Amino acid sequence: MAGGAQGRWAFQSSYTPAPGHHFEVGDRVVVKRAYPPGHRRTPYYIRGKQGVIERICGAFPNPEELAYGFSGEPVKTLYRVRFSQKHVWPRYAGPAQDVIEMEIFEHWLEPAPREATPVGGAARA
Amino acid sequence: MSERSPGRGPQDIGGETAGAIDTTDHGMRFWERQANAFRSTVQANGITCTDELRRAAEELGEEYAKLQYFEITTRAMRTVLLEKGLITEAELKAKMAEIRARFDVPDEMESPVKKKTG
Amino acid sequence: MSNPNFDYYARAKRELDHDHGHEHGHDEHAPLNEHDSGPPSDHEIMSRAMQELLEEKGMITAEQVRRRMELFDEEFPYRGSRVIARAWSDPAFKQRLLADGRAACAEMGIALESERLIAVENTPDVHNIIVCTLCSCYPRALLGMPPTWYKSRNYRSRVVFEPRAVLREFGTALPDHVTVRVHDSNADMRYVVIPMRPEGTEGWSEEQLAAILTRDTLVGATVPRVGA
Repeated sequence: MAGGAQGRWAFQSSYTPAPGHHFEVGDRVVVKRAYPPGHRRTPYYIRGKQGVIERICGAFPNPEELAYGFSGEPVKTLYRVRFSQKHVWPRYAGPAQDVIEMEIFEHWLEPAPREATPVGGAARA
Repeated sequence: MSERSPGRGPQDIGGETAGAIDTTDHGMRFWERQANAFRSTVQANGITCTDELRRAAEELGEEYAKLQYFEITTRAMRTVLLEKGLITEAELKAKMAEIRARFDVPDEMESPVKKKTG
Repeated sequence: MSNPNFDYYARAKRELDHDHGHEHGHDEHAPLNEHDSGPPSDHEIMSRAMQELLEEKGMITAEQVRRRMELFDEEFPYRGSRVIARAWSDPAFKQRLLADGRAACAEMGIALESERLIAVENTPDVHNIIVCTLCSCYPRALLGMPPTWYKSRNYRSRVVFEPRAVLREFGTALPDHVTVRVHDSNADMRYVVIPMRPEGTEGWSEEQLAAILTRDTLVGATVPRVGA
């Protein structure tokens, strides 16, 4: 089962991803470091950051297209991704295990490079 | 747009330094509750969707930071309805003038409803 | 600190159960520091104008708007606390809620409309807090409208990078061994926190439990208190 490194926070989603989806729970990913204009639901502060897939939320029409009156189809897979706060904010004042999680559409994600991804949240039994 | 970083809309404020939070809930005025119900009805009837309204709000640019929440949502609704040709600027102006002339809107807090004269 | 006197959902529920003294003759929906009168603002007039125009054009009806107002005022705000009270009372239900929030609500006859709901659970080791940095996404059909602080710029900007400082502003202090999990509700999911059930609530009915589950606790800004 994927996501072993996540301990008890791994979540097997009951929602269906789009056909040909790329990532599974536990995969290490990086958010694209891109800053296109227009309506985006990937917050500025998370671009270029590395995280881990926490769950697959299902497949949804692309909000970036819906925003301009288009159908947003074909639907895209939406993931919840977990990030270490100390990785996201260089001056984060809280403990190392604090995390931030959000939903990222597949087209904003790439596989993380081979070196270790800072995740935070030590695996728990 | 304003001097924000490229690709960073006025709504994209996560991580910005800001002041203390007013942790008291100030509730909603009558017109705000009605505006919210209006928005909800418009969406339920398929006239527009959440994403269009969000995008229209983001297009407020520099004004976004200066407006209150329901002012933003009202302006966004206006943008979308005009874009879709469902209302015209002239119609909106005329209707607003008509309402001002009536000036019998309920109290903000609806407790009890009072009519203003004059 | 969020004052329960101004959290009108909690207040309304308390008044159902207890004979607390409160300001008589004052609308429960009107926090004391709001003015009752004053000419309508331009935005208020604009909103009413758009509404009337669409009614005249037959795209919406006044009855539909009235009905939505009723749902938001009288139905939605009371659902979340009932769901979480059940989760506290029924461990199997809690597991179903964690697995699929919307389906669990449907079990209770609560139809969440378009919302996909994710419930996140507070434990002795983990505290969850919710925000929508990009606008103010919130599970409205479960919790009603969000409190004004949730929609504020200061909350939206700061809770993602200094959640513990923000929590302290709400009177919620967490030791360092507790992990803080911030959830930015930025796409199609909506979130509700399952707080830890406080001591002193053993044997309570779901109704009693629901009464201490204010909106602030279900977003994770505060924790439920017995004898509030």
